[in-house]
Amino acid sequence: MPAATVEMSPHLGYDESLMPPVILCPACDLAHRHTTPAAGPTRCARCRAPLQRPVHTAIETAIALSICALVLWWLANAYPLVTMHVGGSSRETTLMGAAQGLYAQNYKTLGALVFLTTVIAPLLQIATLLYVLIPLWRRRAAIGQNALIRLLSRARLWSFMEVFMLGALVALVRLSKFAHVVPGIALWSCALLMLCLSALASVAAPEQLWAWAVRSRE
Amino acid sequence: MTPPATGRSLGLMMCLHCRLTVRDAKLPRSQCPRCRARLHQRKPHSLAVTAALLSAAAVLYVPANVLPVMDTRTLFDNESDTIMSGVLVLLHSGSWPIAVLVFIASIVVPLLKILALGVLLLTVWRGSPRGRLQRSQLFRMVEFIGRWSMLDVYAISLLATLVQVQSFASIIVGWGAWAFGAVVVLTLLAARSFDERLLWDSPQHD
Repeated sequence: MPAATVEMSPHLGYDESLMPPVILCPACDLAHRHTTPAAGPTRCARCRAPLQRPVHTAIETAIALSICALVLWWLANAYPLVTMHVGGSSRETTLMGAAQGLYAQNYKTLGALVFLTTVIAPLLQIATLLYVLIPLWRRRAAIGQNALIRLLSRARLWSFMEVFMLGALVALVRLSKFAHVVPGIALWSCALLMLCLSALASVAAPEQLWAWAVRSRE
Repeated sequence: MTPPATGRSLGLMMCLHCRLTVRDAKLPRSQCPRCRARLHQRKPHSLAVTAALLSAAAVLYVPANVLPVMDTRTLFDNESDTIMSGVLVLLHSGSWPIAVLVFIASIVVPLLKILALGVLLLTVWRGSPRGRLQRSQLFRMVEFIGRWSMLDVYAISLLATLVQVQSFASIIVGWGAWAFGAVVVLTLLAARSFDERLLWDSPQHD
């Protein structure tokens, strides 16, 4: 084992080239020898957990996906989620309207929760990614970049977009007992947004963001 | 057989946030030099925190299943549904794929999660070396499926709003839904605080 130590460099606070040439398995702590960028995803020899992801993705892919997600988010919020026909009348509900309705009916916490997890959280995630990625693409660092990347990796646990989509599906099936329900543009946009966000989660994973951040300073 | 080289035996640590490998001791206040997250050889008090969160979840699992999650009021009748009776209603109204989905997401998954984390905790506590690989894979499955239990909470809250806006019926979110939401969040936190590396720390016999 070469005796590499962590040296503090003036820019990053550490020097990437002096890092120990070892990858530890995040799931069982087994040490693996560092090989120069692997061709595909590698797994731990002992517990088979995925090790480091390959860092080959182009930053442009991540930016394109983020812009796509932003447009889908707008569609999901601007257009009605479902239209219900009961008797002679029909009524449209938007995503925001659903959260507002809950809030108005005294389910304040629940309303806020739905609003935060399905409207605000995805928007913040997309906006933060773009704010960090666009300067990185031009090999610059955004103000507060490191704190934001940290925030992105921590917020991942609380992203419930896909679950919300399936929940909406279940709600629609149950509703058909009461009314004739027609899915709207926003429902399809939500479904696409969900796919877009999960693609982003693997393309712009925290390891990858840090790799781009380090590259931008070379 | 010599024990395999691990981060602990080599004096290395991995930042769980940005996956940087760091030589421990050398750094001030054990912060990751790249992302400034706190570095720990193992998550602090992992077993105790997980056990506390898990037992809270197990206690709340009872009201989550016994109390009604929604009350449906129409002009003619008034029915209150628990999670299980909601599944049965879906089954009788002919949409069995959705019924199976809700059954798995809201009944099977939370129960399996609580049981699985309980087994993992007990075996780590006793330092049992058997079936590490299987237990490690079990934990990864628990982590992966955890979020999906929130399904019914979302479905019910959407139903409540969509129906209430109209005047033909009203759906009221019951206390069961709150307890259920709490169970899901508590098990998510419990899984997060569990350090799976502990499974591999006991001396190897097999």
